[in-house]
Amino acid sequence: MAIQLSKDKIDEAINTIIEYGGDGIQRCVQCGACSSVCPGVQAGFPVLCRLLIKKLQDGLLEDIIEEQSSWGCQNCNRCTEVCPQGVRPQEVVIAFRRYQANELAFSTSTVSAQMQLHDIGHAVFTEAGELREGVGLPGKAPTSAYNEKAQEEIQAILDNSPMAELGLF
Amino acid sequence: MENYGLFLGCNIPFKAPDIEQSFRKALPALGIGLEDLEGASCCPAWGTAPSFDKPTWCAVSGRNITLAEDRGIDLVTGCNSCYGILSEAKHFMDAHPELKKKANELLAHAGREYKGTSEIYHVSQVLHEMVGPEKIKQNIKYDLEGLKVAVQPGCHQLWPSDAYKIKEDNPYEPTQLRELAEALGASAPHYSRLSSCCGMGGMRTADVEKSLGLFAEKMRSIIEELDPDIIVTTCSSCFLQFDMSQPILQERGLIPKSVPVFYYTQLLALAMGFDPKEVAAISKTPREDIIKEIQSEKRLVKEVA
Repeated sequence: MAIQLSKDKIDEAINTIIEYGGDGIQRCVQCGACSSVCPGVQAGFPVLCRLLIKKLQDGLLEDIIEEQSSWGCQNCNRCTEVCPQGVRPQEVVIAFRRYQANELAFSTSTVSAQMQLHDIGHAVFTEAGELREGVGLPGKAPTSAYNEKAQEEIQAILDNSPMAELGLF
Repeated sequence: MENYGLFLGCNIPFKAPDIEQSFRKALPALGIGLEDLEGASCCPAWGTAPSFDKPTWCAVSGRNITLAEDRGIDLVTGCNSCYGILSEAKHFMDAHPELKKKANELLAHAGREYKGTSEIYHVSQVLHEMVGPEKIKQNIKYDLEGLKVAVQPGCHQLWPSDAYKIKEDNPYEPTQLRELAEALGASAPHYSRLSSCCGMGGMRTADVEKSLGLFAEKMRSIIEELDPDIIVTTCSSCFLQFDMSQPILQERGLIPKSVPVFYYTQLLALAMGFDPKEVAAISKTPREDIIKEIQSEKRLVKEVA
């Protein structure tokens, strides 16, 4: 069945992506250079780079809100390097991801990383005292994980950011 | 001695502290002083603030950069993800005053201001550009001659090159890590998938089978084309993928053998004579035999103290 293009839907999709930081979408001419070097496309994520941008240019924003390909993006920026139009395709992909995230269309397993970032400043954390002492280092790394003032600073930033409105922490 | 602020990130201090110890042992011995950036946080990783809001990402990255700015020094990290995230945040804030303003409005809640006065470097860049292969060669105790190394520079050190202070001549044909491996006496030939992704990062979180599929292709290329003695990387995420996923691929019969993997500074520290129990103690893919081979009597470079 042919896609019915709607100017309102196209405008909404393009403006949303621009608002979330992917203004290069306006310059994409669908040459496909980005997809040719994208490890996510190579690995088999079906809607990434050129095809994701195409769907957004066609106004299919809400229609693909549950699409998980964007979360397979490595943010490696091979696409940015190779793009002849200066689109920075990775910025478009992650702008779409920001749209999804702000509509809470992401895996629930992601939430714990946001909570840890907020609470101790680290998305990835395991108590590693024994491991560290075993290689001759102090058990406590000199990071925000063990620094109350640093944690207060990070919480002050995140609590005043748009992320706080999503109720993730 | 030139000092840099050591940005640890998350993987290295909590999963692979022997890599951290290899920085702390090898770099000062080569004239690079390291100052701890007390209270540094996650860069923040791609799956966190950068996936929600660009100014929030820049504020959290900006806070980390201010820790180096406060000391009047540049920042060095050994994690490619941190290097990419911090470099891009700096690149975007320095190029777009409106974004910098928004990030600084958030940073004001933490009593901080990003100025843009500190540069971001990767450990491998400091070793290649500021120390140089010649000085490394002069400071090794054990020569790696006859050993073949497959190099894995990692994505976020290569692209987008406009965000990085130090660039490869051609980021699709990177040579810096090959030259660093050769400085130890080893050979580090090109192979067809040298700059290919290992599948770690967001991809592994999103779909572990797709990630392993990509990694298996890379491993087969390495084994079939080079059959190396060692894999060496300067990305902590790549290190974790090569170390923890080789046993899985072997168990599934997807690769015929495993290859010992090291972060470059671990190999450097071993070649400089540091204790493997401190600088190369933690791995799932076995590497005890090659460590013994590296620090064997026959490889001792007698004229070096």
